[in-house]
Amino acid sequence: MEQEGPILESLTRRLAETPEEFLFEPRIGVSGHVHVAAVAGDLAKALNVPLKAGELVRFAGNDARQDRNRLAITLLFCWILFDEWFRQANCGHDAVLKLLDSESKELASQIAARKFVTDPDRREEMARVTLARLGFRPAGESLAQAQDRLTTLNSTERARVMRAARVAEERARQIREALKKKAAEESADKWTRE
Amino acid sequence: MDPRMNREIITDADRYPTLTSDGRQILKFLREHPHAPIFRNESGNRLTADDVSRVRKFEQDASRAEIGWHLGEMPRWLGEFIGKCFVEVPFYRRYGSVPSRFEDLPTITRADIGNDIAQFVPDTAPLDRLINFRTSGTTGHPLVLASHPVVAASYLTFHKRALRRFGIELNHGRGQVGVVLVGFQRECFTYASVTPTMDESGLVKLNLHPTDWRDPDDRAKYFDAIAAEVYTGDPLAFAELLNLPLQTRPRALISTSMTLLPAMRRRLEEHFECPVLDLYSMNEAGPIAVADVDAGGHTLLQHQLYIEILDETGHALPSGERGEVALTGGFNFCLPLLRYRTGDYAALRYNGQEPVLVDLEGRPPIRFRNRRGEWLNNIEVTHALRRVGVPQYTLHQYSDGRLSLRWSGASCNENQLRTPLEQLFGVGQPLELTRVDSFEGKTVQYTSEVLGAQSGI
Repeated sequence: MEQEGPILESLTRRLAETPEEFLFEPRIGVSGHVHVAAVAGDLAKALNVPLKAGELVRFAGNDARQDRNRLAITLLFCWILFDEWFRQANCGHDAVLKLLDSESKELASQIAARKFVTDPDRREEMARVTLARLGFRPAGESLAQAQDRLTTLNSTERARVMRAARVAEERARQIREALKKKAAEESADKWTRE
Repeated sequence: MDPRMNREIITDADRYPTLTSDGRQILKFLREHPHAPIFRNESGNRLTADDVSRVRKFEQDASRAEIGWHLGEMPRWLGEFIGKCFVEVPFYRRYGSVPSRFEDLPTITRADIGNDIAQFVPDTAPLDRLINFRTSGTTGHPLVLASHPVVAASYLTFHKRALRRFGIELNHGRGQVGVVLVGFQRECFTYASVTPTMDESGLVKLNLHPTDWRDPDDRAKYFDAIAAEVYTGDPLAFAELLNLPLQTRPRALISTSMTLLPAMRRRLEEHFECPVLDLYSMNEAGPIAVADVDAGGHTLLQHQLYIEILDETGHALPSGERGEVALTGGFNFCLPLLRYRTGDYAALRYNGQEPVLVDLEGRPPIRFRNRRGEWLNNIEVTHALRRVGVPQYTLHQYSDGRLSLRWSGASCNENQLRTPLEQLFGVGQPLELTRVDSFEGKTVQYTSEVLGAQSGI
């Protein structure tokens, strides 16, 4: 975050105005539309950090249930990075790959991709994460300010996600417990049995 | 420690929360009748007064609702249902955002539900009333499904709709018996109960196996004494019922659980002089459709259940093409389904605006190789054996082409079975015929060792 990047609002606005093509269903197996690997490949070329075929495999996905949100987030990162500013910014190969891959994976476990378009806080988070992972901070902010704001956004969201995960795990345990207790044939009438 | 020490003590107040003296009386009649079977278990409806109102309301709404959708369109309720699933159901929540096109929704299978049922129970489902249904399925791996007493009681809404299609309005009530769930197995869960939404009419689940009766002759006497309006069960149980010298007749039979072949259906209709309904129903979704010859297949029963036919890759097939039945929606609010691949196969055609499941087969299709080296879809075997009133059979083809047909029931002989199969497979087709007393549990009807038998639909 040593270097100053574009103004934050230019990125959050870009996210809010994400064109439909970048919101289409990622192609996974025989379903979906957008070949995310191809988009990521084009982006990497545009940024002058070409990705090898082996590096693009991770953007194909195997199971829509597991991969569609991750790849939908990758597409959003691609959309941000296609911005003219990044094309001129000399982004590093590894940093770009990490952002498209690991960061997408991390965010996918917490938030549905569309929220990064529709929710102002999440738009800001994605814009800040993009800049930070590539070594930039929003124009007009000091390093401390940028770090502080990113941490606040991240930690608030992370705390919420962790709380929700704990609640969900506890509820799942209770459901398994409740189901163990009551076999339906001992506790509910149906006129037909399957 | 004796595991029974941890067991919840269940009383009649738990089993029948709204039981009145009339209900108590019919229960006493069913349980203590001199010709009553040995009831092995106890169970009840578990419906509170609020539940009863809720089930009645559901029935009213369902009876007014339109079923189906126009060809090429989605039902109106679908969007809201999917949105709710993505918010409330842990498994679907992990998909991320709702896709803009329905067909981009991932499909799910029995294995997903089997992996952890808790992930499919919505955050809004009340846990204190949760119950489970267990199903063995075709693989023999048991599956535990989440449900609720209101869901179980709501089955009747769809039975009534199915019966109405055949001109029958249930008219039993207080002091009478609504239904006998007939089983014919070595071991069977049996009990007596009441149906609160039918003014506490009686419900009996019994087993025709002689070991569940003090005297086998009691079976017919008990059926005649309780004079239930409807019998439900599987074709095997009904085949056994044909052997009893009943004086009374139900107003309808509802067959579930396994394929009811047309010849058997005709025999039952002639014998009982009433409609015999072939219901397509599963624990995962309840009663889905009922066979109607006039409609050319199984017509749908639920107003909030969307059905697609999918190919192997999960793509929806056009009207008339045969593939796997997939379900979205359902009335089990503890287990909302999004593109659930049932493992059953059919085509979907439209009678005007009414979707109809055609050539429904409850098992993955298998191809058989005939003497001329041609592939035959198992549906052709089903059609070939239609003329024979066999309650249940399995057909297996060995890798060298030999066939083994196992069947149960006294209603047909070997020649009746051999002739249509020879016509289909060619003269000289090696065929072993084995009659068995019964098939244990659910069976896989068609199997093959021939290479390529499972490819293609």
